[in-house]
Amino acid sequence: MGIVELQNVRKIYPLGKVQVEAVKGVSFCIEKGDFISIAGPSGSGKTTILNMIGLVDQPTEGEVFLDGKPTSKLKDAELTRLRHETLGFIFQSFNLIPVLNVWENIEFPLLLGKTRVGKDEKKEWIDHLIEEVGLSDWRKHKPNELSGGQRQRVAIARALVTRPQIVLADEPTANLDSATGEQILELMKKINRELETTFIFSTHDARIVDTADHIIRLRDGLVTENRRREEIVAAACAGSGA
Amino acid sequence: MNTIANIAFRNLSRQKKRTILLGSAIAFGVMIVTLINGFAGAFSANVSENFSNLMAGHIFISGTEKGPNDKDMSVIRNDSSLTTAVEASGAPAKYITRRSAFSGTLIFEGKKIRTNVDGAQLDKETFLRERLLLKDGSWDSMTNETALILSEKIANKLNVDVGDRILVQMQTVNGQNNVGEFTLAGISFDAGIFGQMMSYANLSYVNELLGLAPGEYQTMGVMLDGLKNTEVSATEIYARLNEAGVQLFDRGVKDETGAETPFQALLRQQNKESWEGVKYRLFTINEMLSQIKQIVAALDTTAAIILVVLFVIIMVGITNTFSMVMFERIGEIGTMRALGVQRGGVRSMFLYEAVFLALGGAIAGIILALIAMAGISLINFGMDSPAFLIMKNGHMSFYLPPLKAVGNVIIIALLTLLAVSSPAAKAAKLTPAEALRTQK
Repeated sequence: MGIVELQNVRKIYPLGKVQVEAVKGVSFCIEKGDFISIAGPSGSGKTTILNMIGLVDQPTEGEVFLDGKPTSKLKDAELTRLRHETLGFIFQSFNLIPVLNVWENIEFPLLLGKTRVGKDEKKEWIDHLIEEVGLSDWRKHKPNELSGGQRQRVAIARALVTRPQIVLADEPTANLDSATGEQILELMKKINRELETTFIFSTHDARIVDTADHIIRLRDGLVTENRRREEIVAAACAGSGA
Repeated sequence: MNTIANIAFRNLSRQKKRTILLGSAIAFGVMIVTLINGFAGAFSANVSENFSNLMAGHIFISGTEKGPNDKDMSVIRNDSSLTTAVEASGAPAKYITRRSAFSGTLIFEGKKIRTNVDGAQLDKETFLRERLLLKDGSWDSMTNETALILSEKIANKLNVDVGDRILVQMQTVNGQNNVGEFTLAGISFDAGIFGQMMSYANLSYVNELLGLAPGEYQTMGVMLDGLKNTEVSATEIYARLNEAGVQLFDRGVKDETGAETPFQALLRQQNKESWEGVKYRLFTINEMLSQIKQIVAALDTTAAIILVVLFVIIMVGITNTFSMVMFERIGEIGTMRALGVQRGGVRSMFLYEAVFLALGGAIAGIILALIAMAGISLINFGMDSPAFLIMKNGHMSFYLPPLKAVGNVIIIALLTLLAVSSPAAKAAKLTPAEALRTQK
């Protein structure tokens, strides 16, 4: 069993009197340390799946396993604790807390939960992350004083500060220009390699999809492709050889 | 939790105008209530102090003798045992006054009015001249044996001027009808509802009309250095009188039905008892003015009602504003929940914000009220003001009991928490996915 496993997951949303089935029985497995892309057009169910993996939403049917443990029976407080301990989040709109500066935004998740980190250790780790994302000169700045790329870098540092096993990124480059988007993706990949953190990101941008080690394609709430990069490359090579 | 409180505090600065408006509404409500509390706090002391000056004492001793046909006669024939007891009590007495009084009908050119006339030793009671300002006439004219000072209200009703001669019909201490003639020496500025109580004449002439012998009088007043020592000193004097074997009415008497004030019960006590010689009654300005406490209680109740009414209105505004705030920050709530903030943390954030707002507004309101009190108390309304009895030397004065101020702040904090509890609960109930989906 991988670090994340979805077994026949369905998600139905009530939309007025109509029931919308956003995810229609999806199963897949993600290995630890993967850099995985969930790709598909708008409305294909990417965000819904990411939300269920991130425990911010619960499936209507099926089960999401996190590190081998089922999550559907957990209560809200337990889910919140598990999210805090296991997962990091990067949002499309950055979602930084506007009243906190760069340093404080990154520090914020460390102040939640019961585990307390020593003051010096905390400072050293946050400073390291700030340096890693290239914002050493911006630590006292508030989010509204930063560019989109800088904000997303803060979000990446914030997602990593609790040393989570998995980082979920919902369209992390959607609100950025292509050059900045590439830099952000490079940064995520570098951290994936260095810290062996599993990165799961959703995107509808084909160029970004190709940077992933493992690609899951969705259409209308169903998985249409689930292959590792080497398989895709091998298939492509085989195709060109024939 | 400190992080959540810190964010809540900083959130107040996000919409400065909105925060200032809400804070100002709270501050205004608190200011009004604090002003009323401050006024009520000083009201009782001011009225008692002013009355003690007009009535010439903080502690009073009056004598009653059983006359012919068992009729009660108000008289002090020999006060040596009384003055000895006052001296022995150690009470901080500034001076001792002697007065007699009657209730009679003043008649002038067919016009009649019933009033109390106080006979005072006006040559000795110099403080009365300072307190009772004359609109017309002069205190110097009081050297005339039959001189009388009336309040403006009574003088107007009788249509008299200084120098006019006024007939008086009254009863002697024995209950016999008597007639006298006063010469109007002065007209005092009207003191509002208490105006009719203030007619002053020379003690010697009032005694003559009452049928008392020279040297006799009805009430001894002990003027202390201030109101605060009144009750302790009264207890001490009463104990000394008791030790000296002076006949005394029981001070602790209370009306069991609750229909009378303790002072009224004390007065009525003499009708139920029989004795020989003079029996003395000791009472204080506080007991005489026990109804003032009811006025203060009414003022405090009014302040509390205003506080609640104002805050019900303000609370509606606060609830609406925080509901709006919740929708504005819905994405932020989703983010915080996703990052690991529990439902309680989200609720606390809103409640902290409300408490900070309430405390800020309440403290500002109290400061504003204190500034207003200081400003108002600088204005000299003069001793001729109709409201001089509730003032201190012609100035409005305020006393804000610290516990009342703290109580108001706590009430406001609780009401604000109540107002915010519903939007806070709604925010806490949101699932992270719901909040993240709804964000702008």
